[in-house]
Amino acid sequence: MEDKLIRLAVNGRDEAVVIQPLATLQDVLRDKLELNAVKSGCGQGGCGSCSVLVDGELQLSCLTLAERVGDAEVTTLEGLNETNAIVPLQQAFIENYAAQCGYCTAGMVMAAKALLDRNPAPSRDEIVEGLSGNLCRCTGFAPIVRAVQQAAQALSDTGEEAS
Amino acid sequence: MPELLRPGSIDEAADLIARHGAAAAVLAGGTSLMRETYPSDGGYLIGVDRLGLDRVVARDGGWSVGAAVSLSVLREAVPIAALQAATREIGGPAVQNMATVGGNLFARAPFGDLAPALLALGAQLVFATADGETTQPIEDFYAGWADGAPPSTGLLTRIELDAPSGDCAYLKCARRRYSTPSVVTVAASVQKDGGTVTDARIALSGAHAQPTRCAAAEQAVIGSSLDEAAIAAAASATEGAVEPRTDAVASDWYRRRMTGVFVGRALAALA
Ligand SMILES: Cc1cc2nc3c(=O)[nH]c(=O)nc-3n(C[C@H](O)[C@H](O)[C@H](O)COP(=O)(O)OP(=O)(O)OC[C@H]3O[C@@H](n4cnc5c(N)ncnc54)[C@H](O)[C@@H]3O)c2cc1C
Ligand code: FES
Ligand code: FES
Repeated sequence: MEDKLIRLAVNGRDEAVVIQPLATLQDVLRDKLELNAVKSGCGQGGCGSCSVLVDGELQLSCLTLAERVGDAEVTTLEGLNETNAIVPLQQAFIENYAAQCGYCTAGMVMAAKALLDRNPAPSRDEIVEGLSGNLCRCTGFAPIVRAVQQAAQALSDTGEEAS
Repeated sequence: MPELLRPGSIDEAADLIARHGAAAAVLAGGTSLMRETYPSDGGYLIGVDRLGLDRVVARDGGWSVGAAVSLSVLREAVPIAALQAATREIGGPAVQNMATVGGNLFARAPFGDLAPALLALGAQLVFATADGETTQPIEDFYAGWADGAPPSTGLLTRIELDAPSGDCAYLKCARRRYSTPSVVTVAASVQKDGGTVTDARIALSGAHAQPTRCAAAEQAVIGSSLDEAAIAAAASATEGAVEPRTDAVASDWYRRRMTGVFVGRALAALA
């Protein structure tokens, strides 16, 4: 089967990429667009390390065929702000030691952003549920939950967006 | 590697499925199918994303749920608490955003957590085949499964759901709180007249090779006032009737016990 040319809207830019048949969004983001915050943990939907936003909704890029994304807007961690500066949500991860090896972190931040965009003042239980598709093998999760609680608190103090 | 086809109409999709038979697999949210290793020698994936099946239509007395509606959209669009609970029990938020209602009804054990809710609610499934549309009660669909695998039914296009007239409870027994395969999943709905149960639908996933209703448990509560004795009888009738399997999640022994326990808890919630 032949390679295909597709267009993708990623982090506010229109990209044209040549892909192999059945390439996943994860492969395209990492290998073609060098957006390596998107990790490749399991390739099976089970770890959340490849989490991205598709039209603002949390999705797993390893289970997504790139050519079915169509006109939808894809956001990776790199797209959280234009200057690539640390956003408040990331700052909360830093201050709470919510990253150790860091492999899960980008996916965790995307899941937390998806949660806070929908529910700016989540309870602890809602945070746990919101992050339940993302695995961390280092931190034991508690620092990550605290980071999201802090970010939510900061949001309500400043009235800003999560990122 | 299979070729991805994305038909633009239901008729076209039904024809493709009929034409390619076993070589074709319907691709909905992909949360199960994308995890499979594709054969290197051809075949087809038939995408449902251009068929307009991603909508819930509220109709008189119920809802028409397109087969490609995601679990998250189902939760927003259909305000039946037991069904909403079921959508939250399937994977994490990203899976719920991607996985479709239709795809979940074809899930193989230990997955298939939506089925008990839809069995208890008496859903009807509508299929498009090359010969036209067919409708069947969801229990007939599962009765057609062999060895835990679905029959070739054509394309599931929608699920017809009437607003429930009685109460319905849904419980999943699992090893972790979220994003975890089930040991067993139970849904129960009862109709009462005065205090007496006049009809009951009790449905299980994980108790047999595929989701089913449990007639023994239903018989045990019909005519009762859902008192403790009737609930205990239903729980023990369930344990006697099920044929669970052993897998990496749970042994058949543990599944059997938990089926009884969770049927009891679901009925107690409706008492
Ligand atoms: C991390 C993770 C956790 C999960 N946890 C759970 C869980 O807790 N409980 C649970 O029940 N499931 C779980 N699943 C399994 C899976 O996500 C669900 O079964 C999901 O609902 C499948 O839907 P889909 O749209 O992604 O289906 P797909 O993967 O696209 O398809 C699944 C099957 O259904 C068939 N199919 C789909 N749509 C149609 C149609 N319209 N007509 C005919 N055939 C069709 C396909 O051909 C295929 O055989 C999990 C999956 C992952 C990745
Ligand atoms: S790599 Fe996608 S969920 Fe693990
Ligand atoms: S910090 Fe190592 S996996 Fe989460």
